[in-house]
Amino acid sequence: MKKIMKIALFEFMEKIKTRAFLIFMIVFPLIIIAISIVPSMLIDTSEDTTHPVGVLDFTGDYTQGLIRQLNEFKFPNGEPNYIVINLYSKDKSKDEMTKFADRLVMEGNIEGYIMVQPKGQDSLSVSYRNRSLGNFNDVPRFEKVFNNVYAAERLRRHGFDPSVINRLISNVQLNPVKIGQPGIQKEMSPEMIYFSSVIFLMLLFMMILFSGGLLIRSVVEEKSNRIMEILLSSCTPDELLTGKILGLGMLGLFQILVWAIIALALLGGHYIPMEIFHEIGLSMLYFVLGYLFYTAIFVGVGSVVTTEQEAQHFTGYLSIVLILPLVISLKVIQSPDILLVRILSFIPFTSPPIMLLRIKVMTPPVWEIILSTLILIFSIYLTIIITSKIFRIGILSYGKRPTMKELAVWLKEK
Amino acid sequence: MLKVQNLTKKFSNVVAVSNISFEVLPGRIFGLLGPNGAGKTTTIRMILNIIKPTEGTILFRGKKTGYSFQNLVGYLPEERGLYRKSRVIDVLRYFGELKGLSKSRALEEALRWLRRLDIEIYQARRIEELSKGNQQKIQFITAVIHDPEVLILDEPFSGFDPINQEMVKEIISELVAREKLVLLSTHQMEVAEDLCSNIFLINDGQEVLSGPLSEVKKNFGTDIYRLEFEGDPSLLRSIELAEVIHLNGGSAEVRLKQNALPHEFLKCAVDKLRVSHFSEVEPTLNKIFLQSIKQKSKSSIQGS
Repeated sequence: MKKIMKIALFEFMEKIKTRAFLIFMIVFPLIIIAISIVPSMLIDTSEDTTHPVGVLDFTGDYTQGLIRQLNEFKFPNGEPNYIVINLYSKDKSKDEMTKFADRLVMEGNIEGYIMVQPKGQDSLSVSYRNRSLGNFNDVPRFEKVFNNVYAAERLRRHGFDPSVINRLISNVQLNPVKIGQPGIQKEMSPEMIYFSSVIFLMLLFMMILFSGGLLIRSVVEEKSNRIMEILLSSCTPDELLTGKILGLGMLGLFQILVWAIIALALLGGHYIPMEIFHEIGLSMLYFVLGYLFYTAIFVGVGSVVTTEQEAQHFTGYLSIVLILPLVISLKVIQSPDILLVRILSFIPFTSPPIMLLRIKVMTPPVWEIILSTLILIFSIYLTIIITSKIFRIGILSYGKRPTMKELAVWLKEK
Repeated sequence: MLKVQNLTKKFSNVVAVSNISFEVLPGRIFGLLGPNGAGKTTTIRMILNIIKPTEGTILFRGKKTGYSFQNLVGYLPEERGLYRKSRVIDVLRYFGELKGLSKSRALEEALRWLRRLDIEIYQARRIEELSKGNQQKIQFITAVIHDPEVLILDEPFSGFDPINQEMVKEIISELVAREKLVLLSTHQMEVAEDLCSNIFLINDGQEVLSGPLSEVKKNFGTDIYRLEFEGDPSLLRSIELAEVIHLNGGSAEVRLKQNALPHEFLKCAVDKLRVSHFSEVEPTLNKIFLQSIKQKSKSSIQGS
């Protein structure tokens, strides 16, 4: 036990002093910050300022309604979202008006304009013309506003009283509310849910690959320069294995700690959403288990491969397995309880990342959590047993990589 | 003492070590000798508990060497290597602590040895910044830092210049004087001849010869004699009892033919030449080594 701690401590101290580790520890949060802050900053700046928008209505029936309703959109601070300009003038031809309006858009005087044209007997063609394809918020908003105005106009033509019309077409806003426990509710935007779930996934992904890489390289180094023999004349293979995994675990915890401090600092500046800490206990459980599982695999493989190149190939293969949950993460968030996702929640290779996602979106049934945790713990146990057997022999085999058949023989040895 | 009894190691289809037994005694250096691939390293690994023997036992002070033995043994492997990126002092402390030294003791001993080997100025350097010779010294320290009861040295002098070789020899003889067990494995027979008082010669995993060096030499016997003389060397050649294998002016080495006795040969020689010196040539270990291995392989061919 004493030796295990010494090995763990040495591994931890030596790795922490490497330049690669320092760079990783600083660069990774920067990437995360870039991913999380930059888009929100971009959206914020475009949303906080008032935009001039035009209305060009060739029918003349909807201009007033549109202007009135668009003027009702206000920022929380009371500033209007839009300044609406009527671009219709009786003196110009239709062509001239369109050209004039287009020029205003191109020159940046207005953000865009809504054009209403009669089409056939009883139909309209409505478009929002602007330079880009439009802001997420603007287009659906304009569509809704126009439909309201359109409906009101039609009802008016049918002789309805204006006060009745208002009541008829009054809108109800739908707020997304996530229910964690009955009675406790939380409002969350879908973007926030996605971000706060994926961030853990990326964290896990990066940490496994990075520290797994470190580990595999250190085992390969010890094998290639025969330090392994001195180590094994001083401790048992199991002590060495456990020490290494523990040391790496400490390294992982240290990383998380540093990142958590950075995150908290940023939280103070409201850069990182609080939602990240939703279900943090359960997230940490899956995080730690997933980390342990993959670390154990890395040690076993590290003892078998003999060169750095082989180690890199292996890391490559494993990253493909790891990236799968990231690829399907959107699907998991949209429908966290479809069969495929539930199956993946029980496979040890994918259960930590998939569960990390599911927890954030919709707390899975308790039995699923318990079962998948048990499977995971059992798999870790099994992996460590297999790994230690392979490790015991693998660390002393030099030169050529063992075949599958030889590995099977190793596993049978006591 | 360290006692190896009927040790055998089989790998899936190769017998690496076959039924060998020997004893390492305190106060003298034991030489485990043999050509490359003879099974020396496998034997050492079994003693160190790195691999398990297929059969046989290893006893230290009458008890089976278990994991508690690990703190009592120091090992200098043949192929040297250390954590290249780490600092000298960190590596030494780590290996010291792994051998059961306390934190402070490990540091103390590391510094003491660095001073002893004249490399204390490098303590804060990274290993890779050191010259090859100094890296070897660091490696040697890792083997002795915990003052082991048993020291196992695999080709200890390769990579050292003559001055450092002397330094290492001095340290080894100090340990021997303090009744430590020293096992030295080498294929350099001159080194073994110089240092070892007991030898065990192994080839193809099997014992070829063993015993105290002087006895081994005596038992091996000799039929080679050195002769110093004045007179016509061709007269020497005419003696039928022996064959001249080496001739240099007034000095010659001859090999007696079978059944010929040295004094008969000397009688003939004295008749023909003025002999000033006649002596038995003690076989070098190298000679014994080569000849025994040749004989052994010959007999095994005949046997099969």
